[in-house]
Amino acid sequence: MTTAAGLERLAQRREALSAAFLLGPATVFVCLTMVAPLLLLARYTLNRFDPAELMVAAWTAQNYARFFTDPFYLAVLLTTVRVAVVVTAACLVMGIPMAWRLARSESRWKSAYVMAMVLPLVIGATTRTAGWMILFSHGGMIDIATRALFGVSSVGLANTELAVIIGIVSINLPFTVLTLQAVFEGIDPRLEEAAASMGAAPARSFQRVVLPLAMPGVLIAAVLCFILGMNAFATPLLLGGPRFQMMAPLLYWEFSSNNNWPFAGVLAFVLMASSLALTLAAGAVIPRRYRAR
Amino acid sequence: MGTNRLTTLPSRRSVLAVGGALAATPLLGHVARAEDRCVVGTWGGDYARLLRENIDDPILKPKGMEVVQAVGDEAPRLAQLVAQKPLPRGALDIACVGATTGYVAADKDLLETIDPAKVPNLKNIIPLLHSGNFMPDKFVPHIYSAQGIAYNPTTVKDPPQSWSDLLDPRWKGKVGALAGSGMWIMQGAALAKGGSPTAWDAAKDFLTKLNDQGLHLYAQTDDMAPGFKSGEIEVGIIWLARTVMWQNADFPVAGLVPKEGAIVYVSGMVMPKNAPDKDAAYAYMNALLEPAAQQDFAAHMGYLPTVGNAQLTGKVAEQLTLPADAKLVQSDYPEAAKMQAEMNDWWLKNIMRKT
Repeated sequence: MTTAAGLERLAQRREALSAAFLLGPATVFVCLTMVAPLLLLARYTLNRFDPAELMVAAWTAQNYARFFTDPFYLAVLLTTVRVAVVVTAACLVMGIPMAWRLARSESRWKSAYVMAMVLPLVIGATTRTAGWMILFSHGGMIDIATRALFGVSSVGLANTELAVIIGIVSINLPFTVLTLQAVFEGIDPRLEEAAASMGAAPARSFQRVVLPLAMPGVLIAAVLCFILGMNAFATPLLLGGPRFQMMAPLLYWEFSSNNNWPFAGVLAFVLMASSLALTLAAGAVIPRRYRAR
Repeated sequence: MGTNRLTTLPSRRSVLAVGGALAATPLLGHVARAEDRCVVGTWGGDYARLLRENIDDPILKPKGMEVVQAVGDEAPRLAQLVAQKPLPRGALDIACVGATTGYVAADKDLLETIDPAKVPNLKNIIPLLHSGNFMPDKFVPHIYSAQGIAYNPTTVKDPPQSWSDLLDPRWKGKVGALAGSGMWIMQGAALAKGGSPTAWDAAKDFLTKLNDQGLHLYAQTDDMAPGFKSGEIEVGIIWLARTVMWQNADFPVAGLVPKEGAIVYVSGMVMPKNAPDKDAAYAYMNALLEPAAQQDFAAHMGYLPTVGNAQLTGKVAEQLTLPADAKLVQSDYPEAAKMQAEMNDWWLKNIMRKT
């Protein structure tokens, strides 16, 4: 018995060592490249900005106070959240049927469909956004088409929130579909057959059987989409135009135009914290049985 | 600086360059220690290419000097200088910056005072480009351009001649400007409406009215060209150098200096106090002021030479020579540096945000 217990302890110790060996490098890497810079940035946010000295060492919350007491910055945060929510909703509404159809497809072209879905990701986001710019611009292709078809001089899509939403959706949709496709493929199709055998129409079967089972995956796709939307940089900058502000471009503006590192740091933390808080809040309002375990 | 990066919103390339430049800092420190190497922190694009073609290859390479370009944006370059101040040896021998940033760096005691004996061409800097004890003593001006009024000569036969003319109802909704040039536009407007580039209240009043008349803002300098082409705007407030570049690309645009005068943008180079190879930096600074190099920058980028002995001839002279009575004014750099954040903030909240 003693020997057996000793062997078991030895095995446990080996397992622990092995786990530490496997997790250690990644943990050290994450600490060095993410946690340490974040801590440094957090410290910067408490410093004071001076136009002549740039960043002056201090312990002050004035940068945070500036953000939360200025309606301009709160409005930018609100715009950012609104865009991210609309983008997430649009991606789910379009992505769920596409992913489900792809998951259940037995066509020999299925891999081609998946490739077609992934293909836009091969092109850089900025290059793709440049294409949208040409499409939306004043006198661009959409304007030319609407003028020819309906006699409307300009649709005026350029530099609008709608243009930004379309641009971000075009980037996020493939991620959403690919995530959801894997989720739907993990759901046994015989469950749908069973529902059908009991008289459920396909839509009802999807709504009552498939979707609840897929909900943890849908939540993950939504979170991914929401975070990508909140942190969008190039798309709002290029498609929103100079008069449209979201948090990430504003952060860069503060850093590059004013050299105000403390306030740019605050914008970064507010963006990070609001993304995290809203993600957690969304998780909390979803019934427990639907959450990923 | 092909699109005058200081005055435009960031492109993806410039944003990536921020990370790249900072990440490469330790490597550059190593490179700079090698003999006969000059590490130049610069903008990318046309500016970096022209530096290679006009300074690095024809002047310095034959002398056995290798030039390494550290391409990045101006803000991270200043950040790099600040962060490396305590080090005995920094990463850069030369940093390319705009004059306001040059002033900030000089004010923070980051810069070496240039020894005129080691930069003989310094004596040729034109009088306009002397400012306080920082230009050209610590900041060597390389190129400059005036902020002017651009228009399409094929459609506009009677262009506005002054800032005041821009408020004429016939230009309502037809004036464009660069969103990233807010601080410069404010100084131009201040000069025009208040007689001094620091007449901030006069500038705010004028720009508010101009914005209410439907001012079009463009994120990037080159975004303005399609605006002209599509008829979205007929007039633009822009650096005259850009109009020359567009002319060289066969785009019909002309530029003029407003009656009230024009603020000038000066781009130059500074030597950090902890530059690893100061002799190389001195050689580089002297080379950038060589007349041939200055003339080629003028021909390709449309910026004016900063030295008096770089005469422009032919088409370049026709394009770039400003009227003899053109009033050109430099920023009040100490005041501009002090007010930059506040004025950028005002521009962001009152002009950019308001439609």
